[in-house]
Amino acid sequence: MIMRPGQQLLLPANPFFIWGSLIAAMLLNMLQNMGLWGRAAWTPDVLAVVLVFWTVHQPLRVGIGAAFVFGLLMDVHQAGLLGHHALAYTVLSFCAITIHRRLLWFSVPSQAAQVFPLFAVAHAVELAVRMISGGTFPGMSMLLAPVVEAVLWPLASILLLAPQLRAPDPDANRPL
Amino acid sequence: MPLGTLDRDPPPFFRQGPSALSKLAVCSALAFFLMVADARFKVMQPLRLALATVLYPAQWLVMRPVMAYQSASQYFETLAAAKAAKEDAEKKHNLQSQRANQVEQLTLENTRLRKLLGLRERLQSPAKAAQVVYDAADPYSRKVILDKGLTDGIGLGSPVLDELGVLGQVTRVYLSVSEVTLITDRDHAIPVLNTRTGARGVAFGDVSRRADAMELRFMAANADVAAGDLLTTSGVDGVYPPGLPVARIETIERRVDAAFARIYCVPLALVSGAGHVVVLDPVTAQIPARPPVEAPAPSRKGGAR
Repeated sequence: MIMRPGQQLLLPANPFFIWGSLIAAMLLNMLQNMGLWGRAAWTPDVLAVVLVFWTVHQPLRVGIGAAFVFGLLMDVHQAGLLGHHALAYTVLSFCAITIHRRLLWFSVPSQAAQVFPLFAVAHAVELAVRMISGGTFPGMSMLLAPVVEAVLWPLASILLLAPQLRAPDPDANRPL
Repeated sequence: MPLGTLDRDPPPFFRQGPSALSKLAVCSALAFFLMVADARFKVMQPLRLALATVLYPAQWLVMRPVMAYQSASQYFETLAAAKAAKEDAEKKHNLQSQRANQVEQLTLENTRLRKLLGLRERLQSPAKAAQVVYDAADPYSRKVILDKGLTDGIGLGSPVLDELGVLGQVTRVYLSVSEVTLITDRDHAIPVLNTRTGARGVAFGDVSRRADAMELRFMAANADVAAGDLLTTSGVDGVYPPGLPVARIETIERRVDAAFARIYCVPLALVSGAGHVVVLDPVTAQIPARPPVEAPAPSRKGGAR
């Protein structure tokens, strides 16, 4: 494996943490809907961000199949057309797999700029499918959603990589 | 450095599994299949029910902090606000009491007159109280979720009212929640009656012009409608009992080049902030079945042979 200059050696990712973070992201999406903003078109899809993150960092563990299943669950929760989130997440995950070797060579802000088109494409797929199947146009505020998702990328990089950045040999001086 | 701190498994060279492109093809084909089966053939309800049952514990868990916050904020609501709300409710109650007290007598009169005329009895719908838990997240439609489902005996297609008027119709029922399509949803149509003129029509949800509005369609450009007319359910559909207030006409655009007038209405029910609602049983079950159509007897030429 070619190491990029200055790359940190990471601890192995805990599968429980990966799946737990995906489920937590789904719960966060639900919370945004149920408690915070209701039916708003601009709400960032946190699950999409976490899915892309793990697809890029752990492509052997999280892939297109997982994205499809989470998409179905989001469809059932949102009470929309069954399968439109599944399609959007499938496309998103495929794009993430395509760029996963290149993306990590860049700095985190630059990564955020590069994943922005992915989120935009996923939302465009969703919009196209729903417009074809006869939905109401949700308003221009939906253009904000991919921007917010790209802005969340650095935050996701910090939070989701934190367990892998711990010290390999914790002692009294470095308890974590 | 202890062993096992790095990901030491060599990446698999030969057992890569199916390629990403083939996975993409299979999953998108499956998604398209699901969408067509759901939108066109409406056969995906069992899968939806199964997934919703799996998802219900998660939704329940997320609802805990939301409900805790809501009850806490209600608890700390000032005394003055509570008193004002109570006074408001009492005023409303007093205004309604006069009409409500007349209802008994009018109902009696109505039943007698109907008997006298030999008309069918007016239909009665049993009602259940429910609560709107949250708005469905899908921004492409207008739906809300109720806290009652199959286990509480909510039936598919039941009309839902709030204290001001018709809110919508139950379109999907899960085990302990159900989904209500609001009257402002684009796909929702409700047969209405103009109480001033008695003209029947169909009102559709329409949010293209402004949020939470409806449109009374297929009225001729010279039809007798005026801004401020009250639309109530006409009862011809066999779902909504007749006489429930639905909407008030807001603006009318009559164009020379169009055969129909564009009539915009505002729903009376609080479609964007409903809390407590009433779910009626659909009157479909009480309507007598359509008499069987007699097959036309084949004319036999030449008689029996």
